[in-house]
Amino acid sequence: MTPSSETLAAAPSVSARAGFGALVRRRPETITALLLVAICGTVAVVNPAFLQPATLIDIGRASVVMGLFALGVFIILAAGGIDVSFTAVAALTMYSMTVLAQSILPDLPIAVILLLSTLGGAGLGVINGLLVHHLKVPSLIVTIGTQYLYRGFLLSFIGTVWIMSLPPQMGAFGRMPLLQFSAANGATITLPFYFLVLPVAALATWWILNRTLMGRAIFAVGGNADIASRLGYSLRTIHIFLFGYAGALAGLAGIIHVCANRQANPFDLVGTEINVIAAVVLGGARITGGTGTVLGTMLGVLLIVVINSVLVLVGIPSTWQRLVVGSFILLAAAFFVTRQRKK
Amino acid sequence: MTNFSKKLLAATTLAAVALAGSAGLLAAQEKPVIATVVKISGIPWFDRMNTGIVAYQKANPDVVASQSGPATADSAQQLQIVNDLVAKGVNALAVVPMDPAVLEGTFQRAMDRGIVVVTHEADNQMNTNADVEAFDNADYGAALNERLAECMGKEGKWTTFVGSLGSRTHMQWVGAGEENAKKYSGMQLVDPNNESFDDANGTYEKAKEILRKHPDIKGFQTSAGNDVLGVGRAIDEAGLSGKVCLVGTGLPNPSADLLESGAITAIGFWDPQKAGMAMNAVAKMLLEKKQLTDGMDLGVEGYNKVSVKKGAGKGVLILGNGMVLADKATYKQHMF
Repeated sequence: MTPSSETLAAAPSVSARAGFGALVRRRPETITALLLVAICGTVAVVNPAFLQPATLIDIGRASVVMGLFALGVFIILAAGGIDVSFTAVAALTMYSMTVLAQSILPDLPIAVILLLSTLGGAGLGVINGLLVHHLKVPSLIVTIGTQYLYRGFLLSFIGTVWIMSLPPQMGAFGRMPLLQFSAANGATITLPFYFLVLPVAALATWWILNRTLMGRAIFAVGGNADIASRLGYSLRTIHIFLFGYAGALAGLAGIIHVCANRQANPFDLVGTEINVIAAVVLGGARITGGTGTVLGTMLGVLLIVVINSVLVLVGIPSTWQRLVVGSFILLAAAFFVTRQRKK
Repeated sequence: MTNFSKKLLAATTLAAVALAGSAGLLAAQEKPVIATVVKISGIPWFDRMNTGIVAYQKANPDVVASQSGPATADSAQQLQIVNDLVAKGVNALAVVPMDPAVLEGTFQRAMDRGIVVVTHEADNQMNTNADVEAFDNADYGAALNERLAECMGKEGKWTTFVGSLGSRTHMQWVGAGEENAKKYSGMQLVDPNNESFDDANGTYEKAKEILRKHPDIKGFQTSAGNDVLGVGRAIDEAGLSGKVCLVGTGLPNPSADLLESGAITAIGFWDPQKAGMAMNAVAKMLLEKKQLTDGMDLGVEGYNKVSVKKGAGKGVLILGNGMVLADKATYKQHMF
């Protein structure tokens, strides 16, 4: 009886450990979630001021543009590619659209402006997709090229002047509140309406990846492109869809960035790619493709936004901030890699 | 290779050749060439400086004056532009260095070749014939802080923003500001020297965080041109206009809305147009081998009676009196 009771006692702890390992292997974003909770917990202990609704709202608001970018990068990463041109796509569409709405079509309703930017971004994304497919060059190289191309086009032919007073409908959209209340010191705290765009885009992306044939095709191509094409998936269609979709999200992100920021700066956005790619990888998507989830990507975005926005709160001086962000990224990435190698 | 990709390649090649061909504009000139290089091209500040260069060119047809600069705030890209200009053999360089240290080597080589080097916003530059400053940086920082203190009622928490910790003038301004605030025992500096990287959105996020961490903060002193816009937007959206004071370097035109709403208390600046003209005037005097003397007149407003001191290196330091502080009531006199 003794040995069997020992086994019984030991069994739960063994299976709990195996269970955690299996969970991490099956759902690597568990680590992201744990990290997020750990950081929030630590910050809350160091500075209880963190625990107020304003923090949550600030983080939510700051995640929108980065989250939209990240969804686009994630879907391309899932298919084994990479995109570094999305910020240039966003900058080109947002600035062109603002110029258009300001000087040529001043009465354009905001819904049309959002739609046109999304379509414009999709168009630029399709160019990426066509180049990647037909040149048969790695998408990293193609999108480095198009990043320069799109940005150069913007600065040479559209304009370099900052637009400080936006068309009124865009400014109104950026300020439209979803939720508003006053803090103790009389400050108004607003969760803007445009925040809703992110959950909607995340749901749409989840639906495409998990409920449609295109989603299966994307993961199949990310797993092994040759086998996927022998199985009958059209690589051309997939490439065009992927980059078009990422471009559409980038275009939308760009115009939201302008409305929220109340200025259109053509030099903006480009240069923030690395943060976004880091967020997607921290969300558990492998840089070599074939894996990842929308939930993980969103957690990765939250992680980066939280790290970036609590440094002042916990009193880390400016010189140290980059050091801390870099260490966090390395730590989390190393954790993932060792976890995945044990597979 | 498919037919399609061949066509694509051909088109790309053609486009690249066409672009490269059109770049060879700076051909050999008889007249002395003064090349102005700014930190970033296309932003309002340096667009304004460009109007100065254009005006200077118009007034001085015996020289060729032009302005260029990198598309992003990147000292390496600026270095490359200066290197290219030295290789092209311009007669004088008028540079607003992103990071003076990065340019030292190139400036030394340029001066060895007989090229006149004039700088601006870089009073620690060793290898320059003359550094032109619109004003004494310590005076400016103290003046900004004095305006802030006046708005804050000389007490309460305040903080500072700089473009980057490596930006010498910004650090001098906030340093002088801190010195000035010591006069008032009620003023308490919290979380100083936040880096804004001259990005209005990043500054906005940081300012929101500071407002959250210090709900009782009373004042912001900012340095880079876009800081007032980011911090001002955070104050405006929080409904704290008039309750929290904001004084910093900024331009009248972009700041107009926030000055009107009261989110920005006052902006300080010098006119980059005049600074550009002054740099070119000094470069021309040096090309003509004229002496730079204390109290001389550069023929530019705010630089009519400059003080000339010994600079950080071999050259001289020229200080004008071009400081402007503008608030809601006065900014309209300086629209740019």
